[in-house]
Amino acid sequence: MRTQLAGLVIKETIQFLRDRIMLILVLWLYTIEVVICTLALSIEVKEMALATVDLDRTPESRALVESFLVTDAFASAGYAASTAEATEWLQSGRARAALVVPQGFQRDLVRADSPSVQILLDGTNSNVAAQARGYALQIVSAFRAPIVTAGDTARGAQPVVRVWYNPDQTYTSFMVLSMVALAALMVGVICPAASIVREKESGTIEQLRVTPIGTGELFIAKTLPTLVMGLLSVFPSLLITWWFGVPLRGSLILFLGLTAVFLVSAIAIGVLIATVSRTLQQALLLSFFGLFPMMFLSGTVSPVESMPEVLQTLSLASPLRHYLDITLGIFLKGAGLRELWPQALILVAIGILLFGLATRIFSRNAA
Amino acid sequence: MMKLARVGAVIEKEMKEIVRDPITVAVALLMPMVMLFLFGYAISLDVDDVSLGILDYDRTPASRELVDRFIESGYFQLAESYASANSVEDGLQRNVIRLALIIPRGFQELIARGGISPVQVLVDGTYSATANLAATYAQTIISGFANDTSPLVQVQARVWYNPSLRSVNYVVPGLFGVILMAFPPLLTALAITREKETGSIQQIFASPLTPTEFLAGKLVPYGFIAFMQIAMVIAVGFLWFGVPLRGNLLLLAAAGLVYVFCTVGIGLLVSTVTRSQLVAMLLALIITLMPSFLFSGFLFPIFTMPYVLQLYTRIFPTRYFVDLSRGIVLKGAALPDLWPSVALLMAYTVAIFMLAAWRFRKKVA
Repeated sequence: MRTQLAGLVIKETIQFLRDRIMLILVLWLYTIEVVICTLALSIEVKEMALATVDLDRTPESRALVESFLVTDAFASAGYAASTAEATEWLQSGRARAALVVPQGFQRDLVRADSPSVQILLDGTNSNVAAQARGYALQIVSAFRAPIVTAGDTARGAQPVVRVWYNPDQTYTSFMVLSMVALAALMVGVICPAASIVREKESGTIEQLRVTPIGTGELFIAKTLPTLVMGLLSVFPSLLITWWFGVPLRGSLILFLGLTAVFLVSAIAIGVLIATVSRTLQQALLLSFFGLFPMMFLSGTVSPVESMPEVLQTLSLASPLRHYLDITLGIFLKGAGLRELWPQALILVAIGILLFGLATRIFSRNAA
Repeated sequence: MMKLARVGAVIEKEMKEIVRDPITVAVALLMPMVMLFLFGYAISLDVDDVSLGILDYDRTPASRELVDRFIESGYFQLAESYASANSVEDGLQRNVIRLALIIPRGFQELIARGGISPVQVLVDGTYSATANLAATYAQTIISGFANDTSPLVQVQARVWYNPSLRSVNYVVPGLFGVILMAFPPLLTALAITREKETGSIQQIFASPLTPTEFLAGKLVPYGFIAFMQIAMVIAVGFLWFGVPLRGNLLLLAAAGLVYVFCTVGIGLLVSTVTRSQLVAMLLALIITLMPSFLFSGFLFPIFTMPYVLQLYTRIFPTRYFVDLSRGIVLKGAALPDLWPSVALLMAYTVAIFMLAAWRFRKKVA
């Protein structure tokens, strides 16, 4: 019994390692993909092309324009002569935002008349526009006119803002960690699905069925290499996170342990897909079909809190969401099992449920 | 040269194969809808209902008023009132709250005396994009509190093309480009490599069917599926989500047609360089789906990428089509504004098709 299982596991491991394309895919997902995405993808607004229309042409108006251009958020796309010209730039895509300082800006400022400046934003990418609007508000409210110092906040409340866990406010840490979590999901789903369907396609699954090997053993042998590989691939990713300067504030052992739990639920999804599909094409398409919602509802692409109620509830069913909470918690917040036990518990529950379901369907199909 | 009857026969055969594979058909038709609904509803960086934690050391009318201002602003939602700094930290760590407001003892008294009282704001920065916005809103509320002097400068922010900042409006036009890049190349590449794998392609070449007829017959059904997908996305996008169509629908359709040729051409090219379905699939994934998703400006803006990667985005045609589609749908742009993208897309399509046809002919001969 035990030698049978060992033999099968050895066969599967050899097959797994021989399949260069799959191996390349796994490594690619865990390393190059993580690096490229982290370098490239960001929803942060950086160097947004800003057209400036200064109708006042006074020291004060120039100071305001300057205070926009010195930030990282905006970069000058040139000085437009009129609002109409700036509009044209927005239309052609030369600028994505425009700042219009009205005539009489300095005069009104001196009179404490609260002049208003206009910000025009290209809203085609609504997320970018929302961020840019936030930055613009921040810059203007921080603007202290060089000449006018009157009306200073003599009384009131003064905000002291501290950003925790990510004081530099970079998107990098989040992106690296979420890409690693995503890689674990994709590998966990696609590898077992492909390995089982391939035996179906080539017909060798029939040969396996006539051997004395039980379905349970076959099942374990099919999924074990993915689990081990998935865990091992975490290490190159750890190097990458270290290279990007992402702190590991929590326990590595806890992270590996919970990653294994997460992989079990991902593998179960892969097996479920394999049991219903006949060809590789179907398996791959179904994997996409399942991976997409899981990815979107996890908070990797946009925060869960900003979603409508219904989707927030649905997102609880996505194992990736809990895994992402765990990953971010362990790496950035230094959280331990004391804080993360609800997520860990849900992940274990999802894992057991899906794995149980997959085993049942798998053995029924095999019988 | 090309006999329509023979092309028809290939189309009929291909159709039968497609219909026999209900999973593929279902995924091809349902997936765009799922994508549309997920993107439409789930992608938003709007900051509303940030879960707020309060630590009020002051417990005076003034401090309660400040808390009220936070809740009334609509950006924050009171999640928890804490009694000690330790429990605030715990709440941030457990994801119970995203932002904590700490009001010091003597807050009311200090303000009443005409002084400036500091108020601490702790923000969970793990997701920097929203953390930043939430911090800005908090700052604005606090600075405006108990400060009767009108602000120095007022801001009128106007958002054009998408005034309500609805993410559906920017997602739907971009999604045309992604969906057309996700399915037609993959399905075309598979349709041809499948025949290669089973060896039936030799039988086809031995028949009087010419390569052009074979390709035309193979491409038409998948072009049709692509057309169905687009029609559905357009219908649901405009009718259900109410995305405005400011430009010319015909222009969009014409650009879409060119683009479909381009995507199918890529699938064809993939099929000429691969022999197995698995390789074709992964190759299609790496050169079509991933870049069209990540490097087309569909979700992630291109202008924030490092320069090298900005150049990299130019290799893939989705970027040009997403520009075109957004320009037409949201900005109401016409040809004079769009010609660079149109020209590039056409040149790209012609080049891909020539390359694919050349490779394919070489293989056959």
